[in-house]
Amino acid sequence: MLKLFRRAYAIFKAYFMVELVRSRGIVYGLLSMAMWIILFTMPIALFSSDTIELGDVSARIFTGVIVFMFYGMATWDWAAEIRWMINEGRVDYYIASGAGFLPHYLGLLPVSLMWLGISLTVNYTVLSLLWAPPKLLLVDPLIFIYGFLMLLLCLIGYALILGGTMLSTGVTGFIIEIVSFILPIATGGLLPLRYMPEPLKSIALATPFSYPAELIRFSLLGIEPVVGVWRTVVLSLLYVPLFLLIGIIYFKYQLRRSLREGFKTISMW
Amino acid sequence: MSMLDLVRVEFKLVYGDLFRRKSAFITFILYPYIFTSFTLFIGYAVGSPRGFVERVGVDPVVYMITASYMLMSIFSSIDDLLWRPLLDLHIGTLPYIIASPVNRLKYYTAIPIPRLVAVLLLGFTSILPVYILYYGLEGVAVVFVVISILIVGCLTMVFFSIALAMSIHRVGESWRMLNIVRPVLMILMGVYYPRMFMPLASYILSSFIPSSHAVEAVQRFLMGMSSDIYILIVLAIAISFIYMPIGKISIREWEKSRVRRGVETF
Repeated sequence: MLKLFRRAYAIFKAYFMVELVRSRGIVYGLLSMAMWIILFTMPIALFSSDTIELGDVSARIFTGVIVFMFYGMATWDWAAEIRWMINEGRVDYYIASGAGFLPHYLGLLPVSLMWLGISLTVNYTVLSLLWAPPKLLLVDPLIFIYGFLMLLLCLIGYALILGGTMLSTGVTGFIIEIVSFILPIATGGLLPLRYMPEPLKSIALATPFSYPAELIRFSLLGIEPVVGVWRTVVLSLLYVPLFLLIGIIYFKYQLRRSLREGFKTISMW
Repeated sequence: MSMLDLVRVEFKLVYGDLFRRKSAFITFILYPYIFTSFTLFIGYAVGSPRGFVERVGVDPVVYMITASYMLMSIFSSIDDLLWRPLLDLHIGTLPYIIASPVNRLKYYTAIPIPRLVAVLLLGFTSILPVYILYYGLEGVAVVFVVISILIVGCLTMVFFSIALAMSIHRVGESWRMLNIVRPVLMILMGVYYPRMFMPLASYILSSFIPSSHAVEAVQRFLMGMSSDIYILIVLAIAISFIYMPIGKISIREWEKSRVRRGVETF
């Protein structure tokens, strides 16, 4: 156990130094992200009616961004990390060391969460300047924490499935990018389900992502989940751990397959 | 090497790559739809299509698919120009390019031309189905007008992009800088939020980007304000030529700076 934490700490230190201290990447990355958000949210002014308060518009965008960024973190920080490991030849060392991937991801997780926190602060500032400070109401802090933890578990499951697929098939960056755009929309991550068209709502409810996302939105915006708060809590408690388990089994299966067949070549882009 | 030879070589490179990497090709076609659904989703969540039509005068679906198509077209034609110097640097082909007798302005001008065919193809897969749905057969004619204006828009970005790329690649971590500059360009061009609704300062600033006039021309055409379209297109072409000498100087200066640094390995 001590060995595991020592390894995780080494990873954390390395990534913290590279990503958040030494490189200018974080500044550039956050600026870039702010610009993309401005680009895609500016047309909202053309849709919004005069009766909706700007703070409410801002709050809805912000909660959408929270969930979207969370998905992005799982896709790019966790799942795509497998791709970089293969490209840079690090994955062989991990396998040879016998330590597995757990210490790596335990070390990486706090860096990802720090980055998420900073980027959400930047988002909040940009939205405040562009529209108005997001009018967030913390309706229920406990539900918020619960929803956040459930979404975290759900996204770990998703990252394991995506990472496992990358290990065995050498899926390209284009596919990942498409997935990272479609998934938040299709699974109800971007919008409250009650504002979605009926067929999409049904698709979203069939996925485990929608329940924690609905709980986060309920706790921050007060928008009631379509299936009710407590039913959403119970359904997420059943569905999310099951999805995580499927993710773990799938990843292990793909890893074993890759060890048997060798890693597929993955193009840089 | 003549310009025709350079274009032919670029054609082989671009289309060889595009057909070999089918996933890239498919995503290229899918992107306008993804961006459209993304912006429409957010828009409908906070407002209504009726409010949009009252403000802009065009159906939001038509407007957003056109905007997404314009975004993808301009990106796909200028991205090669913006990234190629960096790619050449990383894969080690830059010393050969610097040593070659090819006219550099011709070489960089030839890079985005094959992509214009892809822009045409993208028009048929993205805006054509939507326009036919909304305008009927008349939509086919509208598509041809939009694509024609946009091809002019993409071509007018060539010298501007050369000047921009060579200036940015002179600073460290330039790929990160490019990731900031690209969305800024799109914001200023008014791809999603029309320039005509922007504050005066932003409007003036955006006027220095040649294709912003082409983007505005497309938007005005869709809004039924066709009177100024020719002026906007002429303006785009005229401004683009201002960047030709700047582009030429920036290529020379960038190559000089690379020669001074010597061959680098990555």
